[in-house]
Amino acid sequence: MSEVIVITSGKGGVGKTTTSANVGTGLAMLNKKVVLIDTDIGLRNLDVVMGLENRIVYNLVDVVEGSCRIKQALIKDKRYPNLNLLPSAQTRDKTSVTPEQMKKLVEELREEFDYIILDCPAGIEQGFKNAIAGADRALIVTTPEVSAIRDADRIIGLLEANEITRTDLIVNRVRVDLVKRGDMMSTDDVVDILAINLIGIVPDDENIVISTNQGEPLVGSEALAGQAYMNICKRIIGEEIPLLQLENNNGFFAKLFGMFRTKA
Amino acid sequence: MNQSVIIKGNKTGITVILDQDLAFETLLTEIKEKFKESAEFFKNAKMAICFEGRKLTTEEEYRILKVIEENTTLNIVCVIDKDEERERRFENAVNQKTNGVEEDTGLFYKGTLRSGQLVESAGSIIILGDVNPGGKVIAKGNIIVLGALRGTAYAGITGNMSKFVVALEMSPIQIRIGDVIARSSDRKNQITDEGPMIAIAENDNIYIEPINRTVLDDINFI
Repeated sequence: MSEVIVITSGKGGVGKTTTSANVGTGLAMLNKKVVLIDTDIGLRNLDVVMGLENRIVYNLVDVVEGSCRIKQALIKDKRYPNLNLLPSAQTRDKTSVTPEQMKKLVEELREEFDYIILDCPAGIEQGFKNAIAGADRALIVTTPEVSAIRDADRIIGLLEANEITRTDLIVNRVRVDLVKRGDMMSTDDVVDILAINLIGIVPDDENIVISTNQGEPLVGSEALAGQAYMNICKRIIGEEIPLLQLENNNGFFAKLFGMFRTKA
Repeated sequence: MNQSVIIKGNKTGITVILDQDLAFETLLTEIKEKFKESAEFFKNAKMAICFEGRKLTTEEEYRILKVIEENTTLNIVCVIDKDEERERRFENAVNQKTNGVEEDTGLFYKGTLRSGQLVESAGSIIILGDVNPGGKVIAKGNIIVLGALRGTAYAGITGNMSKFVVALEMSPIQIRIGDVIARSSDRKNQITDEGPMIAIAENDNIYIEPINRTVLDDINFI
């Protein structure tokens, strides 16, 4: 049974693309056949974060317009052969693709892959509509900031209106020290407002910046954010993994963070 | 039986295969005999004719046609040229008119070509500025970047492998020349501070080398 997951947030810069890259890679590490689709036409990023930019020959728009076959446009990941990327077009815009075309494309990919992960652009316009068109479920990425939460709430409403009711929440970029001081909303507060299932908490981790710049997802590594992403992947495939209780283990994690700092 | 002249029929006409070594006058007599024999067969057919096996001058061709005309009631509509050399010359001339001339003229673009921007030309392209990652330059001819090439460049997009890409700082994401694609190395932060470079295609590979006189001398405008 294949599953189509859209990763969305409404607000920009909260970590959709990073989450897509890490969740996709993580699922591939768990031996699933995965295809990542970058639906952000005109502002493609996922290929850069995955370190696959130099392999792009054809893209999503070429496939949809029939200028090439799907197989030709799929880029095999350099580390995990069962991970594929369908890059977005850079020189076109969101209107080059319609929700119906996306739906058809996703249906075709379903036959071959276990997980189809759609990296959604920011906003709620055409790009968003394209991305959610063929999706079975959604991962909502938010940060513990009022603006991001407000947008996430709007997105959840829009997804429900489009009959996507399986929505899970990822709270990204949590800073334990700030939460402790009462300067940042806790994960519980976020979940209280959004009232959907929490599938993962990802701590703010400078290793993410490093991994993004190197074009190698962090998932599976020792880094805290890497562990958090791997946990999310395991929960996606149905395993019961306890959430990282960052608040309770503050002392331990503070030490861990300290270690990373000295290393970097 | 004499095989110095063979007549072959096909759907639209006849091919006359001529002996290469026979003296032209003898050949002409042979042709006369052959066509006389088959005059009855051809009757008033309208046909195209094609000569093979021997290079004929225009005058010789004319004399042969005259002989055929005199000895048969055959209606020769046209002469199809099978001369390979002439064909090649013709092809070259056409190519020069459609490609060559245009490919060697240039389009100038001034400014930084940023991500998502595209410059295309049926000729060559000269960029006075940088090409950033995500920026694309596509030319039927050559590409010259008077700046840093950090994006993608496709030269000879119609399949011409003799085209080249030049950049003052060569660190492209992808270069395509004709049908050959080369991508950048996966190791990041490679310092390519080695001055102006040229990328050329050879044996299905793309080579990037510093520009010097030897390399420039090897460039041919085909």
